[in-house]
Amino acid sequence: MKALSLYQDRGTVVHRVDSRSKLLYILSAILIPAVLPGFMPGLAMLALSILILATGKVFGKVLPLVGFSLLILASIVLIQGLFYSGNKQLLFSLWRFGFYREGLLFSGGICLRVMNILCAVSILVLTTRPSDLIESLVRLGLSPHLGYVLSSVLQIIPQMTATMETITDAQRSRGMETEGTLLVRMKAFLPLIGPVVMNSLVSTRERSLALEVRAFSARSKKTFLNPPQGGTANTVIPLVLLLAMAAAIVWRVMQ
Amino acid sequence: MKNSMWNLKLSTSALVLIPAAVGINYIGKLFAGLLKLPLWLDSIGTVLSAMLAGPVVGAICGAINNIIYGLTMDPISFIYALTSIGIGLAVGVLAQKGRVNSIGGAVVVGLVAAVVSTLISTPINIGFWGGQTGNVWGDLVYAGMVAHHFPVWIASLTDEFIVDVPDKIATVIVAYGIYKGLPQKLTILFRHDSVTEQL
Amino acid sequence: MKKITVSGLKYRYPLTEELALKGLSFEIEKGEFIGIIGQNLSGKSTLCQALMGLVPHFYKGGYGGSVWVDGLEVGKAEIHEIAQKVGLVFQNPFTQVSGSKMTVFEELAFGLENLGVAREDMAPRIEHAMELLGIGRFRDRNPFDLSGGQMQRMAIASVIAMEPEIIVLDEPTSQLDPQGAEDVFQAIEALSRRGMTVIMAEHKIEKIARYSDRVLLLHQGEMVAFDTPQQVFSRDDLERYGVVPPVFAQVCKGMGIRNPATGLYPMTLDEACDQVVNWHE
Ligand SMILES: Nc1ncnc2c1ncn2[C@@H]1O[C@H](COP(=O)(O)OP(=O)(O)OP(=O)(O)O)[C@@H](O)[C@H]1O
Ligand SMILES: [Mg+2]
Repeated sequence: MKALSLYQDRGTVVHRVDSRSKLLYILSAILIPAVLPGFMPGLAMLALSILILATGKVFGKVLPLVGFSLLILASIVLIQGLFYSGNKQLLFSLWRFGFYREGLLFSGGICLRVMNILCAVSILVLTTRPSDLIESLVRLGLSPHLGYVLSSVLQIIPQMTATMETITDAQRSRGMETEGTLLVRMKAFLPLIGPVVMNSLVSTRERSLALEVRAFSARSKKTFLNPPQGGTANTVIPLVLLLAMAAAIVWRVMQ
Repeated sequence: MKNSMWNLKLSTSALVLIPAAVGINYIGKLFAGLLKLPLWLDSIGTVLSAMLAGPVVGAICGAINNIIYGLTMDPISFIYALTSIGIGLAVGVLAQKGRVNSIGGAVVVGLVAAVVSTLISTPINIGFWGGQTGNVWGDLVYAGMVAHHFPVWIASLTDEFIVDVPDKIATVIVAYGIYKGLPQKLTILFRHDSVTEQL
Repeated sequence: MKKITVSGLKYRYPLTEELALKGLSFEIEKGEFIGIIGQNLSGKSTLCQALMGLVPHFYKGGYGGSVWVDGLEVGKAEIHEIAQKVGLVFQNPFTQVSGSKMTVFEELAFGLENLGVAREDMAPRIEHAMELLGIGRFRDRNPFDLSGGQMQRMAIASVIAMEPEIIVLDEPTSQLDPQGAEDVFQAIEALSRRGMTVIMAEHKIEKIARYSDRVLLLHQGEMVAFDTPQQVFSRDDLERYGVVPPVFAQVCKGMGIRNPATGLYPMTLDEACDQVVNWHE
């Protein structure tokens, strides 16, 4: 059974950087371009993220992640390029439609911001083991109970999906309709998900009992099996990022 | 305050409910897609957990749902955690006040959830995507309205709302159906007001 | 030395009218192996959970009387305190996995992390528990990739790592295949031989007859008998309580073979053999 995760075990330097630094990097990638004017800071940040992703040997894995948003971004460029309320200067026309400079610039800004966030988050998601990420969040002060919930979700989703597949096959072989008119398909929905949903809810009782037995609600301070990640890089990187963010804000205020 | 629905110290049962509920969200979304339904149906678990254990659990469930989506599928989901939290809170409060007691009640609660979801999502849609939702039907309406010089926020609000209303009503009805089917000796474990009585 | 003292224990689940436990009183000595038997819904699971404090703390409901475990009053203590004295293992191996750990080794650490055990102390305790239950070679496996029997032994090991002095098992093998069940029984027997107090609710009556020092017979929430297996299984009214005596006791009873010293029927194959040999002489 595999846990739900996008983690790529490539063992590079990027992988050895701890989650705290990567979380701060995401914050910087959002904050710095938002604080500084113009396209340049965003472009520079994006270039840096891509460089890090390449160093982590995970650049190829970014595309599927970005894919979700690419379609929306394309439609944004289209709609804003055509209809943005500030549209004045016609850039070019395709058939009967005119694309305007203002709308395209506006949507370009959106695309840059989205790509920036996506790439920065990708660094964290693709090069950090989810269990390490959750553990470091708990060390940073997240409630261990919420830490448990997060790890548990990562395991429960593949399990439920696997059960679903078995059930879908069984229902199909019993002649349940999953094609046809909208009404037929709507009617199929509840019988399909019902049993798994019920079962997952009913087993919460036994799982809670089992957790109680393992002192889950103990109030003493929790300890960790694994030692914390150390190293100079993991103290230097957060420091540099914090300084960079502070510098950007100070510069903006001084303007 | 100890037994109120706003108690932040969650019982083990309530905590264990959250992963199950996030799993239910996921399966709902998966099968809505598989059956090519024109709805998302991706918050059935959040709504169920809010009905069972109240607004705090509903909100946490919503937040964790989007955090996990963000970490494993689509990083943009992170921002919409706010919407999920809103849905969990709204349904949780209404359910604890006994409003989800019939199909009719479920429809009303679904409508409220849609309003809450629209009010939270629209500013995010505007700030992040320039106002669109990414749903074909909604975005077509949006494009039409913007072309006819409606203000962006009205177009965006409409875009989100017409997608949310049928989705949230269907979601609450499905969740209500499941809730009805659960044995009482299970549902009582998620309540906040039980105490041990001395015999 | 008394490990467990139960007096006048009464319990009613929420939303129900009838008591699930109707005033039980008994004592258990350190190192004993106690079998709990009784037909379905007689209250075995409820009693097991009352020894651990899940009844009443987890379910709430109505509670009366007292349970003392190793100097701790269960009704007034918290579950995590009791968890350091009593370990509880359930029927379903699957739902006992914490569901948040990626390897068997980490799974065993779960309870220790919750208790706040120092990191240096964890590994030796986990190693010891894995060795006792014979699951050391699965240490790096994902908990959900184990077979039912292996998973159940992991569940026991997870509890053993927390170093309780008493272990309570509620039908630990009812959902396992025969081989898995046998492995689990042998592991439990080994724990008992090491001096641990073991309490096991079980429908498999031969196993109860073989391992138990004393057998507690429950019927509709009341304690009908608490005595040696020979005494309990020699009763003539067992059928009324939905209990089928071990097959050797039945055969010997049919043939009228008794242990001349006690006047009771033999319970196990070995005992029956001795008596048959004596009987022929
Ligand atoms: N969570 C619960 N809520 C309400 N009543 C319950 C609950 N669990 C058990 N009961 C009731 O308590 C009584 C004793 O049940 P218990 O599960 O202890 O029996 P058991 O001897 O373990 O049965 P089995 O052999 O089937 O495991 C039964 O009448 C049962 O219906
Ligand atoms: Mg039972």
